[in-house]
Amino acid sequence: MLDILIRNGRIIDGSGTPAFMGDIGIQDGRLQQVGGHITAEARREIDARGQVVAPGFIDPHTHFDAQLMWDAEARPALEHGVTTVVHGNCSLSLAPLKSEHRPRLVGMFQQIEEMPDAAFNGAFEWQWESFGDFVKALRGQIALNVAPLAGHSPLRLWVMGEDAAQRAATADEIAQMQDLLRECLEAGAVGLSTSYVDVDENLAPVPSRFAHFDELDALSAVLGEYGRMLQVVPEFFSTDITLARVDQLAELSLRHGIPTTFSPLFDSALSPGNVTRIMDRVAEQFARGARVWPQVQTRPIDISFSLEQASLFFMAQPMWYMIQRLPRAELLEKLQDPATRKALIDAAEPGGMTLAFAHLLIRDSRDASLIGRTLGDLAKERGTTPATLLIDLSVEEDLNIHFLSASMGHEDPARVGPLLANDLVHVGASDAGAHIQSFATYGDTGYLFSTFVRDGGHLSLEQAVRKITGDTAQIWGLRDRGLLRTGMAADVTIFDPENIARGEELPVNDMPENGMRYVRSASGVDTVIVNGELAWSAEGGYTASRAGVIASA
Amino acid sequence: MIADATVGPGHDGEAVLVVRVRHENGAHDSVTLSAPAARKLMDDCDAKDLEDLAGQPWQRLLSVLET
Repeated sequence: MLDILIRNGRIIDGSGTPAFMGDIGIQDGRLQQVGGHITAEARREIDARGQVVAPGFIDPHTHFDAQLMWDAEARPALEHGVTTVVHGNCSLSLAPLKSEHRPRLVGMFQQIEEMPDAAFNGAFEWQWESFGDFVKALRGQIALNVAPLAGHSPLRLWVMGEDAAQRAATADEIAQMQDLLRECLEAGAVGLSTSYVDVDENLAPVPSRFAHFDELDALSAVLGEYGRMLQVVPEFFSTDITLARVDQLAELSLRHGIPTTFSPLFDSALSPGNVTRIMDRVAEQFARGARVWPQVQTRPIDISFSLEQASLFFMAQPMWYMIQRLPRAELLEKLQDPATRKALIDAAEPGGMTLAFAHLLIRDSRDASLIGRTLGDLAKERGTTPATLLIDLSVEEDLNIHFLSASMGHEDPARVGPLLANDLVHVGASDAGAHIQSFATYGDTGYLFSTFVRDGGHLSLEQAVRKITGDTAQIWGLRDRGLLRTGMAADVTIFDPENIARGEELPVNDMPENGMRYVRSASGVDTVIVNGELAWSAEGGYTASRAGVIASA
Repeated sequence: MIADATVGPGHDGEAVLVVRVRHENGAHDSVTLSAPAARKLMDDCDAKDLEDLAGQPWQRLLSVLET
């Protein structure tokens, strides 16, 4: 008897080949049959008529490291159809890590990924130092699969202590790091992550930035022994330096036979040649046989701010920019001073900023009825101007009100769509689980289907599925996943191709100690199966299943 | 020298400053600065306005990029 039988589905198997109608049988966590008409009985039957049956989606760039310790489902990733996540990106992982280095690492996570202290302290018990013990803490406790990276920064901290954030490593220290990385890979790490740009909570460079090339070369040699991934955050603020990093990654890829990936790469009208130049170089290096995968996100970039913290959003308006830099009490006083208010409002009106103010959305407010409204609409209702309203609301709410300027970059489907469809582009870079108090990092897969398949037609349904399943598994060497093939792991997402999308961005208080974060719910996803067990359904929500595994092992 | 500077989007949801540099051979390049780096550049250049950055030597960016 089968465990699950999915009937009448439109099967898109993750390889990019055309969809076909048929049934899928699942037994003992494996795909027992894909296609055809299955007559065997099953404990659970799912009628997928009118829906797509696809491999579970794989998110290659997340920071769910800590969250998975208290939230087995990495909510809401699972309900968006994501069945495997890569975490440990950007040089940061929770292992290997000596107990005395925990505060250092937590500080880095807080600064770089904007994760609250409560997410690390008190929400779970640190039961590990080694990577093996970290993986052990996850086993049997997670509802989706994890493909963990080992972070270069904790690796350096382990071997060099505080010197890790001060100098290059000696030959002996590099050899120790090689041994340590080997242990991580043996325990299930899918690769190594490093960063050339990030800073810690004191705005000092993270340890990985002190590594010289010989260190990265030596560590890449270890990755080569296992054919594992090197993930890099390059100096994305400069096209020319990023090009040099692409060349460097290509050399490491060729020398050690490893795949490499870097992020972020995104489109911005202010740097129009950036993507083209980098993709041209990536293509050159692929033609040489190197593997240098640029990760590109699907969602546009929104900018959020409050008047409490100075934002560059106001830099084009000196009056606003200067006043925002005042100490809090003085700022509040000035915002209520008639002369200053008039000067600010006058400055906002003639310079083209009026339009920008009118389009600002209220992200969070004490008054829930304001959330999601534009300043323009509200100002009309109240017979005032958007700039005046921004000041008034900020004063009323003691500066604890946030505004959002939507789609400031990477927002033009005509430019982003062809980029996502490029065979050399790795769709990813969601940053899921990070920046949680600034914006929602969930639902990029739904956005891929709604914007670039349904609306824009830049990718076929089969291409889009392949991009976030079969391609991802192949790039990362996840041999057992990403395809609907007999004998492979039964990770399955069933969705309505006419309705799959991401929901509205909403603030929720579901973090440890009632902490706030932004999330997006899913629409159009019907059923999510992980290793042959029902993990989530639109009808029943989350289940008690903990069938997730370490996907690399 | 610095040709101009414009506020733009950063991948982490914060505004960034895109500074365009004009080289002596006429070529242009751009550097994207985070908020702390952009504020330091403004302070280092004693700039009240983005327009004040135009004409400043490109070397101003060197110390800023270490921020």
